[in-house]
Amino acid sequence: MEARTVTTTAQLPLRERVRELPAVRWARFHPESAAAAVLGVLVVVLVVAYGVHDVAQTGLNGLTLGSVYALGAVGLTLVYGILKLVNFAHGEFLTFGAYMAFLVSVTWGAPFVLGLLFAIAATAALGVAFERIMWGPMRARKAGLLQLLLMAIGLAFLLQNTIQFIWGTQVRSLDVNVTDTVEFLGLRIGQTDLLVIVIGFVTLLAIGAMLRFTLLGKRMRALSDNFDLAETAGVDTSRVVLYTWVFAGGLAGLAGVLAGAVTTVKPQMGFELLLPIFAAVILGGIGDAFGALAGGIVLGLVIEWSTLVIEPRWKISVGFAVLILVLFIRPQGIFGRARAI
Amino acid sequence: MTEPMASSPAAMTRPAEGRAPGVPDGGRPILEIGDVRRRFGGIMAVDGATLDVEEGSVTALIGPNGAGKTTLFNVITGFYRADHGSIRFQGREIARRPPHAIARLGMVRTFQITKALARMPVMDNMMLAAPEQPGEQLVNLLVRPGAARRREREVRERAEELLSVFQLERLRDEYAGVLSGGQRKLLEFARALMAEPKMLLLDEPMAGINPTLGARLLEHMHRLRRERGMTFLFVEHDMEVVMGHSDRVIVMAEGKVIATGAPEAVRSDQRVIDAYLGGGAAVGSEG
Amino acid sequence: MTLPLGITFDAFTDFGFWTSVGILAGTYTIFTLGLQLNVGFTGIVNFGQAGFMAIGAYTMGILVVKYDWSFWLALPAAVLVAVAFGLLIGLPSLRLRADYFAIATIAAAEIVRITAQNARELTGGNQGLFGFEGSWDNVSDSITSGLQSLGWSDPETLFPLFLVVWATALVATLLLYFMQRSPWGRVLRAVREDEDAARALGKNALVYKLQSLSIAATLGALAGFFLALNLNFLNPEEFEPLFTFIGYAVLVLGGLANYWGVAFGAIIMWTILEGTRFIDLPISAEREAAVRFMIVGLVLILLMAFRPQGVFGKKEEMVLGD
Repeated sequence: MEARTVTTTAQLPLRERVRELPAVRWARFHPESAAAAVLGVLVVVLVVAYGVHDVAQTGLNGLTLGSVYALGAVGLTLVYGILKLVNFAHGEFLTFGAYMAFLVSVTWGAPFVLGLLFAIAATAALGVAFERIMWGPMRARKAGLLQLLLMAIGLAFLLQNTIQFIWGTQVRSLDVNVTDTVEFLGLRIGQTDLLVIVIGFVTLLAIGAMLRFTLLGKRMRALSDNFDLAETAGVDTSRVVLYTWVFAGGLAGLAGVLAGAVTTVKPQMGFELLLPIFAAVILGGIGDAFGALAGGIVLGLVIEWSTLVIEPRWKISVGFAVLILVLFIRPQGIFGRARAI
Repeated sequence: MTEPMASSPAAMTRPAEGRAPGVPDGGRPILEIGDVRRRFGGIMAVDGATLDVEEGSVTALIGPNGAGKTTLFNVITGFYRADHGSIRFQGREIARRPPHAIARLGMVRTFQITKALARMPVMDNMMLAAPEQPGEQLVNLLVRPGAARRREREVRERAEELLSVFQLERLRDEYAGVLSGGQRKLLEFARALMAEPKMLLLDEPMAGINPTLGARLLEHMHRLRRERGMTFLFVEHDMEVVMGHSDRVIVMAEGKVIATGAPEAVRSDQRVIDAYLGGGAAVGSEG
Repeated sequence: MTLPLGITFDAFTDFGFWTSVGILAGTYTIFTLGLQLNVGFTGIVNFGQAGFMAIGAYTMGILVVKYDWSFWLALPAAVLVAVAFGLLIGLPSLRLRADYFAIATIAAAEIVRITAQNARELTGGNQGLFGFEGSWDNVSDSITSGLQSLGWSDPETLFPLFLVVWATALVATLLLYFMQRSPWGRVLRAVREDEDAARALGKNALVYKLQSLSIAATLGALAGFFLALNLNFLNPEEFEPLFTFIGYAVLVLGGLANYWGVAFGAIIMWTILEGTRFIDLPISAEREAAVRFMIVGLVLILLMAFRPQGVFGKKEEMVLGD
């Protein structure tokens, strides 16, 4: 009824009856526990069917993938929560980050770490630049949802193809160690993959702490909850908005570098990651950074575990299937509130 | 909990109307609400509301801010689903029916913030509301185009009539978005009437319009009640309107119905006074 | 004639070039008419139109090539499948808010494309599907003979397709135009404006949205047929979300809430997209491709920033500034 609701009114009668079943009622009021329970059941079933080793091995792959998703998702959800912008160009930030790292560590030969840091800084700067050039002015003009959406799509076209213009379509790789593996507990994981998980988790923890404990983080969450209220309460919204883009851009850039490190670097990489990242965002509850974090990890795990059951080339459709399922069953996501008022 | 309807005391403050001829007296109320509950997040926005509305009456629903009046409206008209309770319209259970079905049964509502369809012309706004338009089904456009065209003509004529009753006819081709606030309120009222309702629920009909316009609207309301036995239930904060134009007043506070009865009786009811003072406002001083 | 930088415009005098641009423009006119109905007149943001195109094209192709169906039976069957898919996706997702609905539709379309890519037995996967154009070729030949009998000695091979595509586009535009002026169209616009107001007046908004989506699915499927006949070859790459987004660029270029503007937008857009292919710029083909899509992106951005109603949209009916 109001713009803040996720669904419009009027549910279907069949849905009514299903919603009132005791198990479903419990799940509705305890979504986090329900989600954990579902995940737990899934793990048990998989372990029984395929054995601990395979589940753990694919689980490790899932954590690598999930780290990339989570890093991308947190930025996307922050931008949505605070600015109400469905940023279809977010994927291109990942691509940009990957290419920046490529530029610094491969083309210019600097150490990988420098490339990584440069990519984060450059993408953060890019995010701020577009806020200044495009998003800020459009918001000032009270642009509508569809207008911003289409503009984001246009920006995605522009960014992806500019990158393609400069670097071509040929698939590149970052100069990282892709052969060495680490073994523990009978499981094997690529050195780089492990690095991705470590960097990913450390960063996510840091971001989580920032959001939870720092003043800036609290302000960001306040704005995400209710922009106008926070503004009237005296929060310097333009500053917080700027920082939002810094984090969104930086995290996306990092995600892009990590993704490029474990796979390859190509102009479409960001867009290919965008929809699963959307799925993670919606799974966790749009606007909720912690949800995006959890959503990303869970999605990565589910996608990799699905390779136990179906052929690997289909695994990407699992992400989309999860997205659609969430939208149909609980569009506000696991951590989102129904916000029916 | 419900009290018998007062017949017509204090006729000086109200046009001297009685019941519309032919409307059954003492029959089944047109709207019966039984122990309706609706929760939002942590609070019970409507917490066990029970009330009746007699056919052909004009009833006011009042209460301090946050009492749950608009929520109750939304629940009655199907925009929110009741968590619990029964809502019967003309004897039929309508709780949990979708809003469009309830509207088709003859219960039409207006909104607190007018929903004049801004990017459509006034005439389109009006014609939209008419019931039984074969042209609204795609199939009929193919197999019964004549019937569709005929009904279009009828609807257009009726819309013209209603527009001139409310003196909006020269605005018929303007986009509703360019109308003033008061004109939009009138449009929404006229549009609701196009739907040929048996009962009209008005959410703050007087808010934001000047007294002349307001008087006109009330005049129409009484005429419709008199000539067609239409029932009215409105939420209002303007106590002059409430006292002067309703047969019966229902008072809500904190999601519950705390008093019902004739306007004067309710005004001096201690529970009502407490509810308003508790909410920081005195009865009769609301603007 | 050669301009500086070696730019030539020879292609623009080539009739074959214009025929092929015309076919693409016509195909995307049909495609985008569906988007116009959805976005411009119903207020639902359908990002899955490429998925409907894929379903139409592949269903037709699979029925003809793998199951030996008659082409003429496969066409309506494919439309039905597309509509069924639309209802399947629409029923649960149309109650979602606009941006969520958009994401749901793009996810659904991607599932279709990924299925086309991976169900190799059925669809040929990335190798593609071909061999379905037999019956069409017969029709095309008859049209060509007809043109020859009218005096045109050497008709362009693709010209019959051009004629049929634009005939369809014209019929579709006319139909939609008249449907829009009916009471049905009025309810649709009310749903676009404010669903709750429409519901309060007795209109079942969900049913109207489903009808809108189903018609868009039909149009998407038709566009799929013409794409298939144009290429004589089906490949999942032709159905990426990119093409839905190009449809949106066409939509906003022509202007929302205006069916006639769609053809205009499609012609301009595909002239740009195909025309730049033939301008001999001193850059690689890869870069030319990139430039073409950079232009699409710029068109979208600039239009949204400075003229969101597009060329022919009405400022008062400007549906984008909520």
